[in-house]
Amino acid sequence: MHERPPKVIVTKIGFDGHDRGSRIIAACLRDAGMEVIYTPPWQEIPTVIKLAIEEDADVIGISSLATDHLIVPQLMDALRAAGLDDVQVIVGGIVPAKDEATLLASGVARVFHPGTALEVIVTEVRALARKRQAKERAAT
Amino acid sequence: MKNVFPIAGILAGDRRTVARAITSLENQDETAYVIRAALAEHVGRAHVIGVTGPPGGGKSTLISALITDLRSRGQSVAVVAIDPSSPFTGGAVLGDRIRMGKHQADAGVFIRSLASRGHLGGLARAAADVIDVFDAAGFDIVIVETVGAGQSEIDITRIADTRLVVCPPGLGDDIQAIKAGILEIADAFVVSKADLPDARRTESELLAMLALRRDQSAAPPVLKTVATSGQGIGELVDWLAGRGQRGTRHDPTASQGVRKLLEKLIGADGFAKHVGLELVAASRGTATVRMRVGPQHINFNGRCHGGVIFSLGDTALGLACNSYGTIATLIDGQISIASSVEEGEWLVAHAIEVSRSRKVGSYRVNIMRGRDDSYVASMHGTVYLIDKPVQAAGT
Amino acid sequence: MNKPAAHIAADELTQASARWEKEFSKGAGDADEVVNRSDIKVKPLYGPTDWSGTDYLDALGFPGEYPYTRGIYPTMYRGRSWSQRQLVGLGVPEDFNARVKEMLGLGASALSLIPCNSVYRGYDADEVPAELLGTCGTVINHVEDMQRALDGVPIGDLSTAMNDPSPFTLLAFELAVAKRRDIPWTKITGTSNQSDCISHFVANHMFFRIALQGARRIVVDHIEFVNKHVPGWNPLSIVGQHMQQAGATPAEAMAFTLCSAIQYTEDCIARGMDPDSFLPRFTFFFDISVSLFEEVAKFRAGRRIWAKLCRERFGAKDPRSWRFKFHAQTSGVDLTRQQPLNNISRVTVQAMAGIFGGLQSLHTDGYDEAFSTPTTEAARIAVATQNILREEAHLTDVIDPLGGSYYVETLTDQMQGKIESIIDLVDATGGMYKAVEQGLVQQMIGQSAFKFQKRVDSGEETVVGVNAYQVEENPTDYPSLEYPDRERMNSQIGKLAQFKANRSASAVEKALDGLARTANTKDGNVFEQVVVAAEAGVTHGEICGTLRREMGFGHPLTVV
Repeated sequence: MHERPPKVIVTKIGFDGHDRGSRIIAACLRDAGMEVIYTPPWQEIPTVIKLAIEEDADVIGISSLATDHLIVPQLMDALRAAGLDDVQVIVGGIVPAKDEATLLASGVARVFHPGTALEVIVTEVRALARKRQAKERAAT
Repeated sequence: MKNVFPIAGILAGDRRTVARAITSLENQDETAYVIRAALAEHVGRAHVIGVTGPPGGGKSTLISALITDLRSRGQSVAVVAIDPSSPFTGGAVLGDRIRMGKHQADAGVFIRSLASRGHLGGLARAAADVIDVFDAAGFDIVIVETVGAGQSEIDITRIADTRLVVCPPGLGDDIQAIKAGILEIADAFVVSKADLPDARRTESELLAMLALRRDQSAAPPVLKTVATSGQGIGELVDWLAGRGQRGTRHDPTASQGVRKLLEKLIGADGFAKHVGLELVAASRGTATVRMRVGPQHINFNGRCHGGVIFSLGDTALGLACNSYGTIATLIDGQISIASSVEEGEWLVAHAIEVSRSRKVGSYRVNIMRGRDDSYVASMHGTVYLIDKPVQAAGT
Repeated sequence: MNKPAAHIAADELTQASARWEKEFSKGAGDADEVVNRSDIKVKPLYGPTDWSGTDYLDALGFPGEYPYTRGIYPTMYRGRSWSQRQLVGLGVPEDFNARVKEMLGLGASALSLIPCNSVYRGYDADEVPAELLGTCGTVINHVEDMQRALDGVPIGDLSTAMNDPSPFTLLAFELAVAKRRDIPWTKITGTSNQSDCISHFVANHMFFRIALQGARRIVVDHIEFVNKHVPGWNPLSIVGQHMQQAGATPAEAMAFTLCSAIQYTEDCIARGMDPDSFLPRFTFFFDISVSLFEEVAKFRAGRRIWAKLCRERFGAKDPRSWRFKFHAQTSGVDLTRQQPLNNISRVTVQAMAGIFGGLQSLHTDGYDEAFSTPTTEAARIAVATQNILREEAHLTDVIDPLGGSYYVETLTDQMQGKIESIIDLVDATGGMYKAVEQGLVQQMIGQSAFKFQKRVDSGEETVVGVNAYQVEENPTDYPSLEYPDRERMNSQIGKLAQFKANRSASAVEKALDGLARTANTKDGNVFEQVVVAAEAGVTHGEICGTLRREMGFGHPLTVV
């Protein structure tokens, strides 16, 4: 009947603290009509899972610099263990090309590299959110 | 199509089920109707605390400190954190929950963010739904943090059992900026950041203002807290624990009673059946009714007949004002319609009480498209109250 | 400053100016207005009507003389080149040691140790996921790690910078190493780099372990201790780099940095310290963007404003207190992942801006900054860039070579105006801590970041290879640093366990107890206890853990 706007968590796991990119993305998604849960850096994986459950998030956006992306597969495992298989995960930031395939294989939907236009990210997030909301409706 | 929703999961407090139930209610889908009906008899146990006040006043920090204290007393806490949406894009950054920092990992705390717009039936309705789910799920305390501006804020605090108004020091003349409506319904004032130099002055200004109230019998206390150090928090929680008003927003017998009553009334309304009107939600003084526009509702211009829209709104209004169990009848009604509606669309009318005295009541109704919550029409009605019990025809 | 130069008749000048303007309009027509990153309009030409140089001594002065606009020393690079202080940090202490020796061999004259992200967050190697260790910095958890890292490095003769926020454990470890090597602390020189807790709270967020007020107290303890016991060390490095990297405009970054400096100065004065006793050892750390002239003007304006603040606002009397000493780093956010070799050109321009701006020490980024911690080759090119600028382009021959340029002097004045108005705004809010707690600073920075991103996305701001001049590329063509060897990292964790087993448990307990106790009292120097703990074999994670318990966990305040 009435679809709520996409609900997106924008967060950082691992140790990096640079959040210029994630703040810009959060503002951009808001301006595109989405609801964004924005967290400070250094979130632990169990906290992100709890957030995703409580907010019934559609998409989780991980901002990563340095090598924080190396623990994203752990996040994917935790999501599956919590029964949150339908939640879509994207990773943005500095990810060496050699690691991108590993991330996608672990279940990440898309990896965004520096220089990607904001419009592209917004469109993709919206599509992923719709996909997830459809799955959620089918399940209930 | 009515779906099977695991209500038992909500009652057991399963986190994912609770979260998904809330989403359903946000979406106002067919499942929402089922959930709401099923939860009606399980609400009324939680103590619902509304926290309001000007932005930057330290509400989130105070709530965080309250949660710490409540958790140390073994209480489970749910929080509805309401954040403002952009009036232009409808999007929102829901940042309140993050300000309640350390509770992010506590399994006994459940925080749900709610954006202030895009809610079918209004923000107050949406907040009430979320609160009911938490209540039914067994949380001892439900805290609702509101944005601090507008009519909906007053509506929301009305559905709390206890209403706290948080005032930071240095408000000065801005005390007037706290909406008049809020001041009247506050159960307690909390001067936050009370270690700052202006705190004393703010406290006396509040006391002076309260002395001007007409009803001096139950003057709300003015409490001082320093959330960062915990000062005054224990006393505030003690005071909250002493409040006997748990569940009074929904008088437990009354809420079930109201719903059953309105279902009976609309079931006995031949015209409502004829048009195809369905009751979606009900509580004392409010009612939500919906319908789908069919070919029998279309006028000669191929759009939904204005009289049908009026009927929808009038029925919602009628149910809302009769929800007290005594007869209320429309004596003056007015509708203004902003856009036309096509066949196949769902329309939802949400009626709420504006005021009610012994003989007369004033109600307004917002009518929106079910699909996207866009505005269709609004109504206002004055009703005359008759001191006789409502009698559903044929019962 | 609209007085024409004395030797040109006023009307002749006006006529000539009008003539040129006419010709310019004919040629350039309706050219778009140009605005720099700090939002200052940039004209096509500057001349004597913009800046006449008549108040040379007051506005500029000679190098080494108040207000130091042209440089803080009379000799500047003619006397001594800027320090080539490259950040080094990766893997285990042995890796750091090898890279440092290489850098020193190639001409780097100082070193800057950057620890692993886990160290930044206050954890030891055995407390965190192994994948995250040693990828952006060196794992150093205790005094023996520091011994191995500095093996064969003459710390008594070389300036070392430790990138280390409160509670400054890395310096504590270095001091413990010096003691073991019988090097008196009076011979230790260097800087506690990026020790400014406010900038970590606001931007960057890399180096934030303890709650803000706790970090604030330890900064002052640190300054007091160092002043007394390690007089050659600069305890405070006030950072503009984080904020500019987070999106602050150059003017905003300079302004907020100076506001933080004002806060720290006031904190020290409140402690009872004489300004002249600590100001000479305050240093700054800035970003250098690719906007060449704007950066030069920013630094010159900064020198002038700081000199005035120290002399007039703080009442410092010693000229050494008025000197604006700074280290700068070429800006990583200007570098691209696309066509990364282009970054060599960008770094060169940024380095030039810093040199013309009169910095005291410089770090140049590797060209692979946008996708990796620098490979050996990239690090080598970065150092070579500085060597070329100094020895082939002879940029050290003339002090403040852009001084007297109509454009640069006008821009310096305009940047000064912008910076001072932001300082006034923060003052009106009640100072930097208040402004930060209210989120004002974060909001302004966020807005500037967003604005710049919009300009890039719309194409108004060109980024070669990203929104213009793109080519088809295979991103795997460029080598990136291999992740630290798992074997070596496991061996490092093993060494940590061994270290913990071999040390005196009672000495550790005693030291931690002293630390906790001091943290809970108003008097007593927390940093002093950290030094004692380092000598007793306490680890970094244990020190941070204790202080977090006593003083609160550090959560930065982010505002979107």
